[in-house]
Amino acid sequence: MNRMSQSLVMVFLGGAVLRITVLSTSYLNYVKPGFRPFLIAAGAVVLALGVIGLIQEWRKPYLTAPDHPHGEHAEHHRHEDHSGDAGHSDPGSRAGRGSGGSRGSLDLSHSSHESTDPSHSDHEGRGHGGHDHSHGPRVAWLLCLPVFAIFLIAPPALGAFAARSEEPPPRPPVTTDAYAPLATDSVTAMPIGEFIGRAWADSTYSLTGKRVRLTGFVVPSAKKNRWYVTRIQMNCCAADGIPLKVAVLKAARPPVDTWVEVTGTWVRPKSDKIPNGMVAPELVATDVTEVPQPVEPYE
Amino acid sequence: MPDRTLADVSTELPPSEWGRRSAAPPAMPWIFAAVVILLIAGRFVLTPLLAFPSLQTWATIFVAISVQALPFLVFGVLLSAAITAFVPASFWTRALPRHPYAAVPVAGAAGAVLPGCECASVPVASGLMSRGVTPAAALAFLLASPAINPVVVVATAVAFPGQPMMAVARFAASLIVAVLVGWLWLRFGRSTWLRVPARTATAGSKWEAFREAAQHDLLHAGGFLVVGGLTAATLNVVVPRSWLTAVADVPLLSVLVLTLLSVLLSICSEADAFVAASLTAFSPTAKLAFLVVGPMVDLKLIALQIGTFGRAFAARFVPLTFMLALLVSMAVGGVLL
Repeated sequence: MNRMSQSLVMVFLGGAVLRITVLSTSYLNYVKPGFRPFLIAAGAVVLALGVIGLIQEWRKPYLTAPDHPHGEHAEHHRHEDHSGDAGHSDPGSRAGRGSGGSRGSLDLSHSSHESTDPSHSDHEGRGHGGHDHSHGPRVAWLLCLPVFAIFLIAPPALGAFAARSEEPPPRPPVTTDAYAPLATDSVTAMPIGEFIGRAWADSTYSLTGKRVRLTGFVVPSAKKNRWYVTRIQMNCCAADGIPLKVAVLKAARPPVDTWVEVTGTWVRPKSDKIPNGMVAPELVATDVTEVPQPVEPYE
Repeated sequence: MPDRTLADVSTELPPSEWGRRSAAPPAMPWIFAAVVILLIAGRFVLTPLLAFPSLQTWATIFVAISVQALPFLVFGVLLSAAITAFVPASFWTRALPRHPYAAVPVAGAAGAVLPGCECASVPVASGLMSRGVTPAAALAFLLASPAINPVVVVATAVAFPGQPMMAVARFAASLIVAVLVGWLWLRFGRSTWLRVPARTATAGSKWEAFREAAQHDLLHAGGFLVVGGLTAATLNVVVPRSWLTAVADVPLLSVLVLTLLSVLLSICSEADAFVAASLTAFSPTAKLAFLVVGPMVDLKLIALQIGTFGRAFAARFVPLTFMLALLVSMAVGGVLL
């Protein structure tokens, strides 16, 4: 990977990050809203490093005179790196050589192929010798993958596929007993997490008989006569998303992944014996309305 | 892991561009333009063709891990580059106690003030050694710094909201392991196992050194971060939750599985807390082991250590660190979590 490619990869990476934060809100598909300033700063730094690198590279041909010795220098290093690898097959003898305390000056002189290793270390690590930056780490090519994914796949927010498992989430959402009382005569809009918390952990059964409105996307169920209105709960990024599901009864299922507002009433389980978190709470729907996807798709 | 092999292969190829750098610029702008056109056109042509739910879910998780980790990575790399470029290594020699057994814990704790991920700490540690710091103290620094520095502690606290003890336990367990390994190396280690590297002088201005160090670290660590993101996203989509849950229920096995996962994933320590937090089925102790072992032993780190300190060193140092990290994190997890 030469310097030009390194800079280009950084330009693309920084540009892609700025594209999803400054020019659109698609970063909300991946991270919490509060991350925007940090993402913009990081994207700007990466872009700036890449642009500076590009500018320097373009100016290079006009100040070439000192460049040729540099090239030969690098050749020497490469050769040494190679013989250093041969040395790895014989750790005993190399370790023996490594015991000396005064090898530094020897190695810096590049005088012999015996003095292989320090330059190698620089090659592997940060590298200040100057030789290794003209051949950056090949693993850096992989940084193109997120860029291609962002532009070509344009990953949407997690949807029904991520929530397809019929199993309940591995851990119940955070619940608290300190829920405010609900209005009796009007419809209360609430997050699905709060609905599940009230259904599972509220000793006063505050949901009983109250009309609530939930917003989420449609996930089919293997059981008959029900589907799930679902929202993904995200702590940090989409990788830790947990689907929160409420089973909707007595309503026709809209197409999968449609965003809907469901108005209805909680169905209190017939038995309190079922431990919380084993089955999704149920809701008898009186009204299902299609809505556009919220800007912030996660809870 | 593969980086070293690849890098070596590249050194064997005849580099055609020597001294003829002018051959590159005419081609690159065209490649640049082609990629930009591909990206813009692909948005309209390819995106509808790639709309499989499984692929989209995989891509969402992959992009999420990469994007989430990037600010932490950039911050750590910039600070690390600034310290490398602007703080002379002799400063650390003066700051440490003369007695080796006292220097080990001090160097380990000093890791708390040097932000960086593990890829950055290897060259810094080798620099410390070459300037005369006791190798055991430099090794304690090497192990502690990626796990206990402020950037990583904050990242851990952010990744585990409502679980502040996770960051505390990670700090404590990592520091204990680092100091223990340092003392054991001081007591039983032999100088013949360790290749103390020499450092070549920095060429050019300090700002140039800063920029180059930042760029190299960012590309290097970023590349491995992508490897981790790919693996984690694939595991997330392909492996049914029930499999992981099945393993997660077995107490000792779950810790071992996550420990091995952290070695294989090779995630940068500034980002691994977010991956650990996504493994919701596992016990806190198993996640702690993931967070303690990952920054000390993983595939890319082993490659870096072999390259820097030699194979004889890595063959002894890596298993020792792995066992101690596993045991200490189980003990600390049992007490604190």
